[in-house]
Amino acid sequence: MASLKNGAVWAVWGAGLLCSGLSPASAEVDFARDIRPILNAKCTGCHGGVKQAGGISFVYKDQVIGFEGESGNPVVVAGEPEKSELFYRIKTDDEDDAMPPREDHPEGLSDQEKALIKNWIREGAEWSGHWSFEPPVVPEIPSIKDSENAKTTIDRFVVSKLEEENLKPSPRAQPGRLLRRISLDLTGLPPTLDELAAFETAFEKSSDDAIRAVINDLMDRPAFGEKWATMWLDLVRYADSRGLGLDDRRTIWPYRDWVINAFNEDMPFDQFTIRQLAGDLLPEPTIDDLIATAAHRNTQTNNEGGTDDEEFRVEAIVDRVNTTWQTWGSLTFGCTQCHDHPYEAFRNEEYYEFMAFFNNTADSDLNNDAPLLRVPSDRSQDQKAAELDRAIAASQKRIWEKGRAVAETTTWAATENLEVSTNNQTRYVVEKSGEREQFTTQGTVERGPLLTVLSNIPGATKAITAIRLTIQPKNTEKALKDSEWGFGIDKLRADMIGKDGTERPILFELSVADVPAMPHDPLIEVKADGTGFSAQTRIHHQREIILVPAKPIPVNDDRLRLQITSNGFALGAFPLVIQRGHIDITGETAWTDLAQDPGHKAARKALRTTIAERKKIPSVNIPMTSERPAQLTRPTHVFGGGNFLEKEAHVTTDFPESLPSPEGDSPDRLAMAKWWVSPEHPLTSRVFVNRVWERLFGTGIVATLEDFGSSGEDPSHPELLDYLALRFQNDYAWSMKSIIREIVSSATYQQSAITTPEVLERDSANRLLSRGPRTRLSAEVIRDQALALSGLITDEVGGTPVHPPIPAGVWKPFSSGDKWTTPKSGDKNRYRRSIYTYAKRSIPYPTFATFDAPSREFCTPRRLTSNTPLQALTMLNDEAFAEAAAGLARRMKYDTKGDVSTKLATGYRITTARAPSPERLQELLSLFSNLEAQYTSQPDLKKGLAGTADGAAFTVVAQVLLNLDEVLSK
Amino acid sequence: MQPDTLLKELQIRSLEADTRRQFLRSCTTGLGGLFFGAQAANAAGGMPVHHPDSPLNALHPHFNPKVKRVIYLHMIGAPSQLELFDYKPDLEKLDGKPCPQEFLEGKRFAFIQGTPNMMGPQAKFAQHGNSGAWISERLPHLAKHADDLCFIKTMQTDQFNHGPAQLMVHSGQPRIGHPSIGSWVTWGMGTENSDLPGFMVLLSGGRLPRVGKALWSSGYLPSVYQGVQCRSVGDPVLNVTNPAGNSREIRRTALDSLKRLNEQTHAEFGDPETLTRIAQYEMAYRMQTAVPEVMDINDEPASVHEMYGTEPGKESFANNCLLARRLAEKGVRYIQLFDWGWDSHGASKGEALNEGFLNKCQQVDKPISALLTDLKQRGLLDDTLVVWSGEFGRTPMRENRGGKEMALKGRDHNPGAFTLWMAGAGVKPGYSYGETDAIGYGPALNPVHLRDFHATLLHLLGFNYKKLHYPFQGLEQKLTGVNPAKVIEDILA
Repeated sequence: MASLKNGAVWAVWGAGLLCSGLSPASAEVDFARDIRPILNAKCTGCHGGVKQAGGISFVYKDQVIGFEGESGNPVVVAGEPEKSELFYRIKTDDEDDAMPPREDHPEGLSDQEKALIKNWIREGAEWSGHWSFEPPVVPEIPSIKDSENAKTTIDRFVVSKLEEENLKPSPRAQPGRLLRRISLDLTGLPPTLDELAAFETAFEKSSDDAIRAVINDLMDRPAFGEKWATMWLDLVRYADSRGLGLDDRRTIWPYRDWVINAFNEDMPFDQFTIRQLAGDLLPEPTIDDLIATAAHRNTQTNNEGGTDDEEFRVEAIVDRVNTTWQTWGSLTFGCTQCHDHPYEAFRNEEYYEFMAFFNNTADSDLNNDAPLLRVPSDRSQDQKAAELDRAIAASQKRIWEKGRAVAETTTWAATENLEVSTNNQTRYVVEKSGEREQFTTQGTVERGPLLTVLSNIPGATKAITAIRLTIQPKNTEKALKDSEWGFGIDKLRADMIGKDGTERPILFELSVADVPAMPHDPLIEVKADGTGFSAQTRIHHQREIILVPAKPIPVNDDRLRLQITSNGFALGAFPLVIQRGHIDITGETAWTDLAQDPGHKAARKALRTTIAERKKIPSVNIPMTSERPAQLTRPTHVFGGGNFLEKEAHVTTDFPESLPSPEGDSPDRLAMAKWWVSPEHPLTSRVFVNRVWERLFGTGIVATLEDFGSSGEDPSHPELLDYLALRFQNDYAWSMKSIIREIVSSATYQQSAITTPEVLERDSANRLLSRGPRTRLSAEVIRDQALALSGLITDEVGGTPVHPPIPAGVWKPFSSGDKWTTPKSGDKNRYRRSIYTYAKRSIPYPTFATFDAPSREFCTPRRLTSNTPLQALTMLNDEAFAEAAAGLARRMKYDTKGDVSTKLATGYRITTARAPSPERLQELLSLFSNLEAQYTSQPDLKKGLAGTADGAAFTVVAQVLLNLDEVLSK
Repeated sequence: MQPDTLLKELQIRSLEADTRRQFLRSCTTGLGGLFFGAQAANAAGGMPVHHPDSPLNALHPHFNPKVKRVIYLHMIGAPSQLELFDYKPDLEKLDGKPCPQEFLEGKRFAFIQGTPNMMGPQAKFAQHGNSGAWISERLPHLAKHADDLCFIKTMQTDQFNHGPAQLMVHSGQPRIGHPSIGSWVTWGMGTENSDLPGFMVLLSGGRLPRVGKALWSSGYLPSVYQGVQCRSVGDPVLNVTNPAGNSREIRRTALDSLKRLNEQTHAEFGDPETLTRIAQYEMAYRMQTAVPEVMDINDEPASVHEMYGTEPGKESFANNCLLARRLAEKGVRYIQLFDWGWDSHGASKGEALNEGFLNKCQQVDKPISALLTDLKQRGLLDDTLVVWSGEFGRTPMRENRGGKEMALKGRDHNPGAFTLWMAGAGVKPGYSYGETDAIGYGPALNPVHLRDFHATLLHLLGFNYKKLHYPFQGLEQKLTGVNPAKVIEDILA
């Protein structure tokens, strides 16, 4: 099946067929087990989601059963193979009719496959979804021959399968190695010598009790969250920089700490989900709930000059859709962006219906990451801050509603005879739009214009009580789909200009905008003269602001003059100016009444005070998710061919039909979040327990963590997967700690990793779980372990990212302001756990990249483990590991009492959690004496390493110990 | 364990691993054994499967390649084709006139606003060599190689911002996360020198490309295929130098001991991965000599330094050109050079066509010319392909950032047309493919999308671009992506 050539193999993929074992055409045909694989392998290439030749798609039941294709014959008539076109096509010898077409598929279908399809049709052509789309069912706990080997329910599933294969599980691992495995898996840190000794003693007394106690102890440590958070941060693509473009620094670390705390506090996974996807829509959200929403603000933004904010806002939304489906559903929903899914039952438009859940968030690829959440630096201020935020929002709404109530009943008169000019090359023309005059830019717009609009006041108006400035996109209808660059008012001055040229400045008392607060930052105070009113940085809808003077402005023969300064420009290129607008006035006294209303006045004053008070709380500003007000909703359209510039049908929020969904129209983002963790959802709990399983065993029950769909692998132990999923979701009420505890408490997990060639032959990848897991440690754990073994590690949870030693010349950021300042030797921030290392996407920390950590541009469901010479160079030569070797050498030489042999044996025990075998100790001893002799005979050699020959020898021995395969592996 | 038993063990293990790893490593993601098994087999596709212990071993591609290695010279920032290779006398006549509206409709620009003015070529052009190639006065040395060069004048890309466009050039996709060409190639055919990485990256110093390491990332391919960045200052490859107090003899002593200890571990646990680790440590040891050796240009004769304009110990494009030849000589598969400072907007002196651009041309002209001469003299040009490009072209309009005329001269980004040239194995020398319109704004004849270039490059390396694919996120991912691509047969020698 594979040929060896020059030590290399080009394998033909047909080999895969051997591994899946088709069941014989006996008993009842099961669609999912027997038929779908044939359809996927032989038919969906042309009759699938992308290509639907003849209108037939074997992805959808209604395009198969009773469906008439272009030939006019039904594809499948349930119960009647002879009337089914499908059966005719696969059995015929007629070259024109035969399917699959002989020129592409000379082999056609096997007799067995034909028989299966025939029987399936005869038995009624029952159709079912792919296994992962069907809800998990409570499995029968298998009975096994040898219950000695099965301590827990998990073990019964595993042993039952092993027995089928005539294999036996392995015995429990030796205590030291077991403790090391449990410690590394639960906390990412190795056991200390004291912990090891205590465990060994307890193990002697009662092994089960000792293991139970140590598992509980380790799960209670803060290090537990520090370890498990990484899995999640890979999924939500957490990084401390903005990505694409400038990749400058982004402050978002409080979210990383939120994830760590969520694991440590054992936040139920349903809450964990809802807060991250829609914490902002919860009633009375806490600061923590809002920090959680930063999960989807880890998307990249593009701050490169000359980039289109809308393009990269859409890009971020697309990423949120794909990441959500990957993270909670392990499905490649992203395929549906351009066409119907090639083999899952997802339609193209369903992608956009789901996108609509995210399309109305307030963020829009702004350089400063707005909207920002002000997270109090002193977290004991959280409650006060959240209360102030709520008070501000409520007060803004009340004040605004009073204003809008007046606006609703106002009759406006358009200003006339507009004369428009600017102080630079920007040109406006005045045109008629219906009865009203409006001004519009023409030609090239220069940044920073001062726009002056001089107009006549309609004859009937005796006094002005309010001025309404309306700002429109250049093309109102098109902008709804394809937004235009927005505008900002940085200064506004209004005057009455008398016939003789005298200027009477108008002083405003209040302004009423079309929204209660600016969506990109609710704490921006839009001034009475309109300063601060803006569309950042895009405009979809017509906008307006009403400016109200304290008292009516009497009109004689005056003209009205507005002077508006717009200094803003986006990304070094695009001036944010008013492109089209008009001005109305009114003389209705209701406005003056509002301006003079003492209650309203006091409320406005109180609001300012509250905002000032909130701003006084020292805070760290991080990106958050929030929803734009309803009146500014961005409509969602299907993108033609996935291209955001080609807007097709308008869609609203909905769930895909192939999955169970709640009743009701146009669900919101909160409903979507709850949908993922609803009891009916077939994917979420399976997906999560599978991730946990993979972290502990090295391979998931479903090996393709990224694909639970029909192109992914089937579960190795489907009943076990369902058992764990239901246990997690129901019995444990989504407790992440409980499900992790149950798995590490199983005999399956605690097996020894020792294997034999015979077993390897039968179970090479350990998919049958005939032995314990033995995988290479992850990048972060490799570094953390070295820091711990050398006694250097800092035990401190959370906080701003740190900058441990980085090889010279690596740090050359595109934005030169982004500094990497490594603390001096001995400073605690030099030895913090890896999760706190500043994660810049364009310059990943070299050690992590070398050991396969992703740079977190996109959701990474699974890390690939490689084994390369660059890893060896890192472990042997990198400054951080050299420092660790020196630390470990000191622990042997100074902290260990006894002779050299004892010191070396202790070094081995520190690093591997067990005593060296006599051969190994002998090897270490001869290495040590060999090195010591070399350093003694050539004293210059030890320069920069140690002051003494034995010190140098201990350091190199420490290096060897830190590089042992046993130390780099679990 | 005896060395011969160890070797035997390895062989047995690789046979078994071939099946195991196809599923779990080589074909990591999106893989349903049955599903893709059948689909890929039907397509008669083959994907490279490397020996787990030597993932960079030379493999034979789909068919016999003309090109054994690639040196890619990327001028980050996108040099103006209108001042170098794409001579447009008609544009001269339009100089200073407002741009006609039809050129602006439906176009998206980075910085141009409203109605800009047209701008004629800012350099004198002449024809060179027997081929009569138009090359401007900015590149007098390169002009002497006119008959070695194969131009494509009608390169096109989808992207008009630097970050995405640079990613398009190197990974075929505008977003971070996809493998770069060098990763595809080393995955597909390994490398010829197991003591050196197969894919090496050299930067001229100054600014790093804005998306950084993503330009030489292995994306979803195993990380062993990512580009290894070489530096002129400090360690030539990260951590290739022993820490203080670790002489080569000491290191050997330590590694011998480490090997024996790991062999005991293998004997105890029976995990094949342990043997792979032993092999990787040995290769690392060999790399520690091989890399500094190849990166040290002090041993080159004065005549060579004179020809390239190199100064040992400096970070420069010239040094990198010389290093590229040395790496090619040693059998490195894919050598990627990045120069910077070519973004001639005219917004500052360094970025103006009438200022910084002149210096940039001067800096690269002689070294590129020397590289071509040197490769040719050594017979390396027979199986090495040199590629030169930016990430997009520049507009025939003068940039008017902020909506007004700027003091210095510059051009904005133009994804519609740019020039790329190749020289060496597999392509027609002294040849020019594709023609742009009268003002060099878009293609008039034979447009070549980056996808077509990628398909052609893979073809030259012996690959059917449709069949070099990798399952990821439910799709058979290719360098050329899902949109149609074609090999440009006309330029093949």
